[in-house]
Amino acid sequence: MSRCSPSIEIAKGIRVHSDFHHLISRRGFLVAAAVAASASMRPVRASATEERRIKVAPSQVRFTGPDGPHTPVWAYDRTVPGPTLRLRQREPARVVVDNGLDEDTTVHWHGIRLPNAMDGVPGLTQQPIKPGESFVYEFTPPDAGTFWYHPHADSLVQLGRGLAGALIVEEAEPVAVDRDLLWLLQDWRLAKDGQIAAGFGNMMDAAMSGRVGNVVTINGVALADQKVRAGERIRLRLANASLARIMALRFEGHRPVVVAIDGQPCDPHEPDGGGLVLAPAMRIDIVLDMQGDPSKRYAVTDDFYDGLAYTLTNLVYDTGPPLRPHPLDAPVRLPANPLPSPDLARAERQEIVLQGGMMGGGRLAGVGGMMGMGMPGMNGEAAWAINGTSMTGDGHAGMAPQFTLKRGATCHLTMRNETAWWHPMHIHGFSMSVLSRNGSPVPHRQWQDTVLLAPKDTIECAFVADNPGDWMLHCHVADHQMAGLMTVFRVT
Amino acid sequence: MKLTYRLAALAALIATPLPAVAATIEAVMYKNPQCSCCESYAAYLEQNGFKVDIKSVNNLSQISSDAGVPADLEGCHTLMVDGYVVDGLVPIDVVKKLLTDRPAITGITLAGMPTGAPGMGGEKAGTWTIYAFTKDGKAPTVYATR
Repeated sequence: MSRCSPSIEIAKGIRVHSDFHHLISRRGFLVAAAVAASASMRPVRASATEERRIKVAPSQVRFTGPDGPHTPVWAYDRTVPGPTLRLRQREPARVVVDNGLDEDTTVHWHGIRLPNAMDGVPGLTQQPIKPGESFVYEFTPPDAGTFWYHPHADSLVQLGRGLAGALIVEEAEPVAVDRDLLWLLQDWRLAKDGQIAAGFGNMMDAAMSGRVGNVVTINGVALADQKVRAGERIRLRLANASLARIMALRFEGHRPVVVAIDGQPCDPHEPDGGGLVLAPAMRIDIVLDMQGDPSKRYAVTDDFYDGLAYTLTNLVYDTGPPLRPHPLDAPVRLPANPLPSPDLARAERQEIVLQGGMMGGGRLAGVGGMMGMGMPGMNGEAAWAINGTSMTGDGHAGMAPQFTLKRGATCHLTMRNETAWWHPMHIHGFSMSVLSRNGSPVPHRQWQDTVLLAPKDTIECAFVADNPGDWMLHCHVADHQMAGLMTVFRVT
Repeated sequence: MKLTYRLAALAALIATPLPAVAATIEAVMYKNPQCSCCESYAAYLEQNGFKVDIKSVNNLSQISSDAGVPADLEGCHTLMVDGYVVDGLVPIDVVKKLLTDRPAITGITLAGMPTGAPGMGGEKAGTWTIYAFTKDGKAPTVYATR
């Protein structure tokens, strides 16, 4: 019962917070001045700890609107996606997670630079949260931006059944946009009856492109129009919470400007070829000046997979006159986050080589699959490896670090993809400055915690190892992680 | 491109004696959009008298499961041909035997992507076992070895 007493305070915190959130969502179209005004009307909180409580439990949702079929899911606070947590940069947060599932869970605060013990990796950074138990996560986000949270236990199933939510860390000073929107994208493999299809952990999925689904939702709803107004400026936070689906989004008739990747501000730029490539776990913040015509519809499409392009949603302009005659003048660059600068001249070099998978040329012989029938991942064996070693599952005690870094040292990390498949490689606890791809410098000063490697790609990146602990580095295609595409490094 | 394939198939038909299977056989192949060896296998089939309609899908394992392929025996693509399921890189003589003999089964499968199989590069190592499966819950049986 002693566990119940703090919940009263926390419940208050939730009410205050959700009221504020509700207020924003009901306001509809705002001009920049109004955003600034609303910010100044926020309750004064002198660095008070933001308190939240989240319950993990089975629930039911309707992906296709109020008339669609119910789909049983696992959810944070009964909703898919989970509640959007809005925290303030450099202000402490305390989140109590109650496990109402029949199995262990944890929460990983994806992209947040936080103390190792708060990172949510079972066995490695904390004991898993057992059914009926709770865990208190406490951290102070140093960086403003778009992050997300998800389980790191039974990851493939728990993420695939719906456990994901956005974590937005607000800038100290609000950014001049009319609306700040979030699209949390989730990909579902549904059976004909609308239920989540069985077959998690299928070896063909594991050894190929992962469990890509057949229904994509935006904030939990499939194929709903997005209402916009001519002349407004939108900050759109895109977060791909899919198990495996890589997306290449195109905004018909519009020119999105990328202002942040994985929560970290970059030089504002239009993407090469106009498409926004968003791999699982990646986030991209764009600024969209809505320069389309009133009453018109513009498709947002995803054409990543050859021959499988589809319309994700439509931007539907209302009939009203433009909010302003010309696009907003204000600069779109976001304020920088306090990321430590790598010292490349004195960096310690490390290399990670990704191996295995179908068409992997038998490289996994000796570590598991690719023998005999040539089927990696068969009989629960590993389908993938990093530097010849397959760490499978979600994280557990006694995972030996692949390499060790002295605290404060710069790590110059090369990641080489020897496989025939795409891999979004996620580093826990750090954001990496992406230096080059296949020998060509990466422009726009991009910092990422999830870096997508195309087949045969080589990526160079760097980070300052300023945060002690054992940290994971793994592919965020959940099937790939479970089947061996994972490693651990240590910062002393 | 398709015309070229058909001409090639026609040439193959003329050049190769096909006692049991004479006409062009229509087939539909479901494959992962990022798997290239399946396309090589489709070309191999077309050289041997088939016309293959390739359909890229992201949920191949769901399709092969629905088709009755045992989860531990999945090949890298699923082919629907003349009332049968042919999963994976099954050699052409085994496919033709199936279509000629017409046994009371759902289909056959060569699991995984063995080196040296049609569509794959490399040298064949060891024996391939091609299994027959049904949808009635019975265990798969050996259909052929190569």
